[in-house]
Amino acid sequence: MRNNFVIFVLAAIAATAQAPGRKIDFPVDSPITAVSSDWSETKATPRGGAYVLDVHAVLSLRNSSQKRIRGVMLAVQAQEVTPGGKGSVSVPSLDVAPGEAFPLRIDLPLMCPLGAGPNVEVKLDGVLFEDLTFYGSDRLNSRRRMTVWELEARRDRKYFKTLLETAGNEGLQKEVLSSIARQADRPSTGVQMVRGRSTNTDPEREVQFAFLHMPDSPVDPISGTARIAGNEARTPHINLQNRSERAVKHLELGWIVKDQQGREFLAASIPSDVSLAPGKSGLVTQDTALRFSERTQVDSMTGFVSSAEYADGSYWIPTRGELNDPKLRGVIAPSPEEQRLLQIYRKKGLNGLIEELKKF
Amino acid sequence: MNGHVRETDLALYASGDVSLWHRASIHLHIRQCEKCREVVNEFRVDARILRDASAVLPEGVDWARLSAEMTANVRVGLEAGECVAPRGRGRLRKAIPASIPERWRPVALASAVAAMLTVMLAGAWWLNVPAQDTQALNRAMHSIWHGRAAMSDERVAVIEASSEGIELRKNGGSLGVTQDAARLMTVSVSTQGSASAHYVDQDTGQVTITSVYAQ
Repeated sequence: MRNNFVIFVLAAIAATAQAPGRKIDFPVDSPITAVSSDWSETKATPRGGAYVLDVHAVLSLRNSSQKRIRGVMLAVQAQEVTPGGKGSVSVPSLDVAPGEAFPLRIDLPLMCPLGAGPNVEVKLDGVLFEDLTFYGSDRLNSRRRMTVWELEARRDRKYFKTLLETAGNEGLQKEVLSSIARQADRPSTGVQMVRGRSTNTDPEREVQFAFLHMPDSPVDPISGTARIAGNEARTPHINLQNRSERAVKHLELGWIVKDQQGREFLAASIPSDVSLAPGKSGLVTQDTALRFSERTQVDSMTGFVSSAEYADGSYWIPTRGELNDPKLRGVIAPSPEEQRLLQIYRKKGLNGLIEELKKF
Repeated sequence: MNGHVRETDLALYASGDVSLWHRASIHLHIRQCEKCREVVNEFRVDARILRDASAVLPEGVDWARLSAEMTANVRVGLEAGECVAPRGRGRLRKAIPASIPERWRPVALASAVAAMLTVMLAGAWWLNVPAQDTQALNRAMHSIWHGRAAMSDERVAVIEASSEGIELRKNGGSLGVTQDAARLMTVSVSTQGSASAHYVDQDTGQVTITSVYAQ
């Protein structure tokens, strides 16, 4: 009887979990080609009226272009229009020469309606090259994101190399250890983001943003407010002025929240398409609510410009000096490249890190 | 223990009535133990004598009548056993300790069945339902218990980033990328409806950024 139950349960599991259909769909003129793929751990399980797809795949891709690749973003989707049906996997900080192959791992859960059948499709959203040119459909804004990551990577490598030249091995090691300690101490709290209407019934008040002004930023935040109710902050309105001589078409703001215990953390980023001619002002507003854990009562908020894109397609990002502001230093996460370099230090030590820095 | 096989086991071995494994172990022993081997041989000789003797029926025995009487006696024995056995014949009733008073036995039986069903359901849940669904149920139970709305209005898509990873929730279902010891993540939320988890892949050394989208 007991054996029969175990067999029944195992049979039920085997019957429900199944391998979904999968497809790698790159354009004919794609600068990367799929050499091989391993989907053996990918499975689909019916759950209510939907399939839950656990996508675990390792792709081997080849640079079939004539330029070095710096970043790749793949769109992974089971159903484009369903919430949870679409995700992306990006690999920045690459250095892949023409003809070289490189691995790309996908670990992503997806969902699709039961009637649609479990299928996973991998599409190329974008490839960023060494000269910052781009190829791809850019449906997930991969061009902007990968360009900012690449500019941050160059900035951070340059910073560490300069440190090595001026302060020697000891100076570099001190900075690396300080960065690792900052990562460990960086405060984090659970944050939920809901677009649209809020359901909080606590009394609401309007709170002014304070702003960190970065000397080199092309855009300066002038004033801003958000509605605060208990552990929820919503509908930020921020007035900005373009103080550069070039038109700005997109910017991203960082939103720092301080709770009543005095803890500060980076709550979210606010990306926004704008049209700011030189010297002109504009308003950024979003119908979004951020909700924190019940113990986190919002006390005050700070905003800062974390990146901007000019109308001519060039970008601005903060310098390392600007990021050293005591308020920012403790709350913002390291760039993807700094994360990579710190991991090399952890695994290979200082000499491994120096060798890596010399490659660029 | 005196280093020899018990006589009863040797008798069963001689008649071929021990399990395969036990038989092998006795066989190995008697190959080296003359005393036990002799005992086994004696049992085999006795068995042969009995078999030969029983092959011939005594004179004057009516086999058909003897067979009918034996069958009737077996039936009587079975019916007598039915009369003296407890009224509840189910295994569950037999499993209830005798120390429980008769009037509480139905309650004990019902409790035992309920406990068994609970264990089966918990096992089936643990084997089949993903952790995210369990968390959604926990959240619903939490809000019912505290008599207020859940922390999130899950009729719309909710994106969450925490030290545990990133998660997209809607209609009680959830999907997420979770952190583990080999994959320390940096998570971020964008107000345009996405959350990202950055981590360094331990195998490739590459920074990998996984994002989920509300729309």
